[in-house]
Amino acid sequence: MTDAATRTPGLDNSLVDALVRVGSKLHKGKVSEDLRSVFVEGGRTGDAFYRDRWSHDKIVRSTHGVNCTGSCSWKVYVKNGIITWETQQTDYPSVGPGSPEYEPRGCPRGAAFSWYTYSPTRIRYPYVRGTLLHAYRAAKARTGDPVLAWAEVTGDPETARAYKAARGKGGLVRASWEEAAEIVAAAHVHTAKEFGPDRIAGFSPIPAMSMVSHGAGARFVHLLGGTMLSFYDWYADLPVASPQVFGDQTDVPESADWWNASYLMMWGSNVPVTRTPDAHFMTEARYRGQKVVTVSPDYADNTKFADDWMAPHPGTDGALAMAMGHVILTEFHVARRTERFIDYMQRFTDAPNLVRLRRRGDAWVPGKFLTAADLPTPGTDRDAAFQTAVLDADGSVKIPGGSLGHRFDPAKAGTWNLELGDLDPRLSVMDLAGWDGQAVELDLPRFDVAPGDPEKDGAVPGTTERGRHTGGAGAVRRGVPVVAVGDELVTTVYDLMLAQYGVGREGLPGTWPTGYDDPSTPGTPAWQEEITSVPAELAARIGREFAQNAEDSGGRSMILMGAGTNHWFHSDTIYRTFLALTAMTGCQGVNGGGWAHYVGQEKVRPLTGYTQYANALDWQRPPRNMIGTAFWYLATDQWRYDGLPADALASPLAEGTFADRTTADCLVESAQRGWMPSYPTFSRNPLDLVDEARAAGKEPAQHVVDSLADGSLRFACEDPDDPANFPRVLNIWRANILGSSGKGNEYFLKHLLGTDSAVLADEAGPDRRPTTMTWRDEAPRGKLDLLVTSDFRMTSTTLFSDVVLPAATWYEKYDLSSTDMHPFIHSFNPAINPPWQTRTDFDIYATLSKEVSRLAVGHLEARSDLVAVPLMHDTPDELAYPRGEVPVQAERVPGQTMPKLVVVERDYTKIAEKWSALGPLTDRLGMVTKSVAFDPTPEVAELGVRNGLVAGNGVGAGRPRLETAQQACEMILALSGTTNGRLAVQGFKDIERRTGTRIAHLAEDNEGQRITFERTQSAPVAVLTSPEWSGSEHGGRRYTAFAINVEHARPWHTLTGRQHFYLDHDWISELGESLPVYRPPLDMHRLFGDARVGSTAASGMRASEGHAEVAVRYLTPHSKWSIHSEYQDNLFMLALSRGGPTIWMSPQDAAKIGVTDNDWIESYNRNGVVVARAIVSHRMPEGTVYMYHAKDRTVDVPRSETSGLRGGIHNSLTRVLLKPSHLVGGYAQLSFAFNYLGPTGNQRDEVTTIRRRSQEVTY
Amino acid sequence: MSATDILLWGVLPYVVTAVFIVGHVWRYRYDQFGWTTRSSEVYEKKLLRWGSPMFHVGVLMVAGGHVVGLLIPREWLYAIGIDEHAYHLGATWLGTFAAVLTVVGLTILIYRRRRTRSVFLATTRMDKLMFVALGAAIGFGTAATVVEQIIGGGYNYRETISPWIRSVMYFQPDIALMDGIPVLFTLHVVSGLLLIALWPFTRLVHVWSAPVGYLVRPYIVYRSRDAQQGMREGRPGWDPVETRSRKR
Repeated sequence: MTDAATRTPGLDNSLVDALVRVGSKLHKGKVSEDLRSVFVEGGRTGDAFYRDRWSHDKIVRSTHGVNCTGSCSWKVYVKNGIITWETQQTDYPSVGPGSPEYEPRGCPRGAAFSWYTYSPTRIRYPYVRGTLLHAYRAAKARTGDPVLAWAEVTGDPETARAYKAARGKGGLVRASWEEAAEIVAAAHVHTAKEFGPDRIAGFSPIPAMSMVSHGAGARFVHLLGGTMLSFYDWYADLPVASPQVFGDQTDVPESADWWNASYLMMWGSNVPVTRTPDAHFMTEARYRGQKVVTVSPDYADNTKFADDWMAPHPGTDGALAMAMGHVILTEFHVARRTERFIDYMQRFTDAPNLVRLRRRGDAWVPGKFLTAADLPTPGTDRDAAFQTAVLDADGSVKIPGGSLGHRFDPAKAGTWNLELGDLDPRLSVMDLAGWDGQAVELDLPRFDVAPGDPEKDGAVPGTTERGRHTGGAGAVRRGVPVVAVGDELVTTVYDLMLAQYGVGREGLPGTWPTGYDDPSTPGTPAWQEEITSVPAELAARIGREFAQNAEDSGGRSMILMGAGTNHWFHSDTIYRTFLALTAMTGCQGVNGGGWAHYVGQEKVRPLTGYTQYANALDWQRPPRNMIGTAFWYLATDQWRYDGLPADALASPLAEGTFADRTTADCLVESAQRGWMPSYPTFSRNPLDLVDEARAAGKEPAQHVVDSLADGSLRFACEDPDDPANFPRVLNIWRANILGSSGKGNEYFLKHLLGTDSAVLADEAGPDRRPTTMTWRDEAPRGKLDLLVTSDFRMTSTTLFSDVVLPAATWYEKYDLSSTDMHPFIHSFNPAINPPWQTRTDFDIYATLSKEVSRLAVGHLEARSDLVAVPLMHDTPDELAYPRGEVPVQAERVPGQTMPKLVVVERDYTKIAEKWSALGPLTDRLGMVTKSVAFDPTPEVAELGVRNGLVAGNGVGAGRPRLETAQQACEMILALSGTTNGRLAVQGFKDIERRTGTRIAHLAEDNEGQRITFERTQSAPVAVLTSPEWSGSEHGGRRYTAFAINVEHARPWHTLTGRQHFYLDHDWISELGESLPVYRPPLDMHRLFGDARVGSTAASGMRASEGHAEVAVRYLTPHSKWSIHSEYQDNLFMLALSRGGPTIWMSPQDAAKIGVTDNDWIESYNRNGVVVARAIVSHRMPEGTVYMYHAKDRTVDVPRSETSGLRGGIHNSLTRVLLKPSHLVGGYAQLSFAFNYLGPTGNQRDEVTTIRRRSQEVTY
Repeated sequence: MSATDILLWGVLPYVVTAVFIVGHVWRYRYDQFGWTTRSSEVYEKKLLRWGSPMFHVGVLMVAGGHVVGLLIPREWLYAIGIDEHAYHLGATWLGTFAAVLTVVGLTILIYRRRRTRSVFLATTRMDKLMFVALGAAIGFGTAATVVEQIIGGGYNYRETISPWIRSVMYFQPDIALMDGIPVLFTLHVVSGLLLIALWPFTRLVHVWSAPVGYLVRPYIVYRSRDAQQGMREGRPGWDPVETRSRKR
């Protein structure tokens, strides 16, 4: 071997050197001295290869409107008029020095999208189901009128049954656009005329993922008077705890703020899988010293990044959080008073607020907040009953500003702020110098005990398996210090919290744990270990670290949470235990701290402008916006099978409000009281109601009140099976409800659509039926007359639709996108024009609005519509139910004890004219978002110049044009504070009038900034600080929620104006959820007779004889290879995974039923059947299976042995379960706002039975 | 002189030649990216290290022998002192050595191709066809040599086949020369012709782009632009844009 040090530079050895030296004489070019390189000139014609490969007609910016929080901007390449591929955009604005950038963003799913453009699944032409089309053509030939033809087709029972039963069974035939649009429009006109416009519904979720595409359809539906259905609560993505605690829908930090956290817990959120483009902030922050903890029952992908992993049993996270809270309160609040935490609790939480105690038996229970109206000398302010009270240092009761009682009363202007002045509220009664040692024993509910005797606790008869179930209720007795105010004994929320968390103090009576290792009483680490299986020491250590880090870093402890903990029936309680952790350590509202809840692409940053456009508020107010979960629950007749006794959920300390009532009864009451919206509202056409009233010479509202009183009119929700109350027309676009979000899929098929279904359950027996609803012996089938879906690909939903309209993809239209993950707004732009006969959603609804206007002539013309409006959040409606007391409904007063009743004028022949012009109400009445008033007069004038004015002499003449999607984008951007600095400043000044503090400076440096559509086309643009949101981007800081509240004393939109630990509404007390509490997953065996988790007993299900079976918990988390149902059918993504329906199970469960990896299995419960392949993996814990959600029926779904039908989708095993606390309204932060509050479509509590099936599958 | 004779010895060679030439032009124009050895070295190396050099050295020697034996008139060899005896010694000894290398090498390569799963999976239908034709040509050639030249008395193809080939090349095919040649030689010639016809459509095109230059070339080649800029020829009336190269 040659010594490397002495050898001169050259090639491998001297022979090769010699060869090359000879060669240098033989060929052109100069050889370098070391013989390693040769330099030649020319000969680069081969470059043409890659030059041609990377030369394109154009490169266009667009994105994917797929309800993914990524909201990544992409380059779309077009060559010879064909979209060839896409790559990631790299031009995100910098986040500034000292932090990683947003660039790079993207993931394999987005990079696979262009496949759809020319794929076999692309919908290229309008389709109508043949049975329906033939019947319609025949009827039209007879009647000569499309509307009459539709009436005839749907009115004839035999024809209607035939085309409805054909749904989902193929037979879609091509139709012309003219004919398809005519059928759809005729159905709308006929339905509005015959049954009422509120029998028309629209479902299109997640406006942020393509605002104009959503708004175009919603605007159409609202102009008709139709009902738009919520999605955030329906998806169970809405954390109900957020409105409960913060009075806000959801406001969270952007992902770059994770970098600022020094302690990050990922709790039920699998960041690398579901937040792929943002996950790098987490991995990078680890190099900065961030500690990462994951909480997940399985070995989730994010666990490999974790320093500590806690694996609680699914759905028991609340117990873990309670134990962490126990440690934090014990060590950081009681043993040592951490100054920062105490100060934060005083100023930003309801902890110092006083609660009246109520005598119950031989003990006491917490009652209502003490308000100014309850004092010995009652306050005289108009809203004194909403002014909560605290104890000052001298022991006197004081009324701090900032509560709801200071918000809407004009006389209190300038006092709605969190400034305490000289006031020094005591957290605990014990802290008073003058406390005399008085303490009382409280009874506090607990839900972690094994249910007692079913005969006693009201469970299903015949199930006496004591100890085998969860969710039994009991009470624990603990003392709190009290002080008398007048005749009342009061204590603070803080004292209640210490009692609830089992943190004892000297001198208090009651049952207290002896230490962390005492499992006998709720709250301790040892107690949670018995529930969650997480070692007590670990839980205690993580809790201690979380708080210690918060203290050391000034609040930079963050909990990143998501669907894993948010999709449970009792998720509001789980989340309240999380939020309590971030509040008691002073993390909320701090960069790098607090909650970080991520689910869908929720955040419409230009909120105000979007709301104007989509709700058509520029033409008429109010819109009909409905809670989706309740709509589907009634429309799909899941209520007939449910029969869940509300009492079964109640606290053992309850007063009996829910006795003998089902959760469906609670829904009816909520609608009647105006708590939640309810559309269809009444048992008659709301257009006819106004006509009737006028004929009788009465005010329409009075007519309705009178008719309700004499029983001639009822709420539609009392009798959802009356054909007069059916939803008749359903528009679906940008959505795939039957492949993705349709909890209780088989019930949809059976009752809403009237086709084959695999519902295996029996309807509720007479003893479990709602008492306030009409029970019809024969359940209706096929309630819906028309299901029309626009999409660019064939999905489970289009397969069941009567009319399928071909839509443009995200690479073929103009639109806007924003997300909560990053602070930018950016655009969709067409790389090509919509190919074949596809049209953009905007153009589809332009077409339909013209067609409806044409067909309305002679059928509808101008009509008056009576809209029932619920009591709205962020309006004085919040004052309707003082103290959250729910008195017996005596008198019907619209807007107080029942919905407001508003008459809206609609000219159905002018729908198209209104749809395509900015109406006059925007500048005449102004715009309001979360009670912030905006006056957009200058912007409307400017839009007239930018978009041009409508010519002619129609209703829209002289108004700004909204005739193209770009013009709609301009409107949204011009009318929002996040994209228009002048409006942001003006909105902040409006807030300042109420708070009396200075906030507007946060936006003043951007007052002249305008983000136009053109700017979003050139690059993503960072939004401006706006009063529409609670955080601040001022000075280039990273967005975190509630920064303005904490830093500028702006109150939260709650009763106390602070973050709430305590909720005093009657119904919430009845459920035993006034304070954060652990509630286990629903015991489906005890409540509904489903299989017990872990049971291997024979189910007796059809075709199951001789097969081993196992019952397991059934979870449907989000997939690595798809975004909801998108991409799971994409050829590229299918190549990366097994594809088709799969169920992940543990080796232990697989062994019990003799299943090996990739075997075909059947999974079934009362709701339906799934056929899937088993993925047997050690990643899974025993007793739990995962089926990634939204595997469509279009890929590899064979026939089921159990049902004989094609095996269902993941939601074939789920159904809707209503929680009464989600239905509360009309009281402070517990008031309805669209997608803000409402019953969740939760699905995590289900149990399924699995067996191996014949490996021979047929399709 | 039968019709078969005319077809085999008067028509087939020209058809094959035409296919060979046109096929290569076509392949070069439409399938440059497919112009490859389809190397499977990445899947398997041990057998390849033996089989490939043996086969390639052998087949190159065989090719050289065919040139000497077929294309060069024996009178020319006599003129430089290689008489009939010397030629036969060389042809027999060198030819046998080359044949052994080729046959053993090919056997190793075929065994490897069939028995190594990943290599077999990377084998196209065209590859299989090529192996059959190549194997046939080599097999019949070897058989003819063994049967006629070593066991038999020795067949003097330089009086029949060689002048026939040259007559084909003059476009004056003397079909009569091929009258009565041994059957193994007939099969060898025909299978050889078929191989030539297949040539442009198989991996055999790599023969024309064997990287001989690699032997004498540095590893790294830097190519700077020449006077032509972009993909388009310079146009008259336009001065070329001058961009100064950086000094190296």
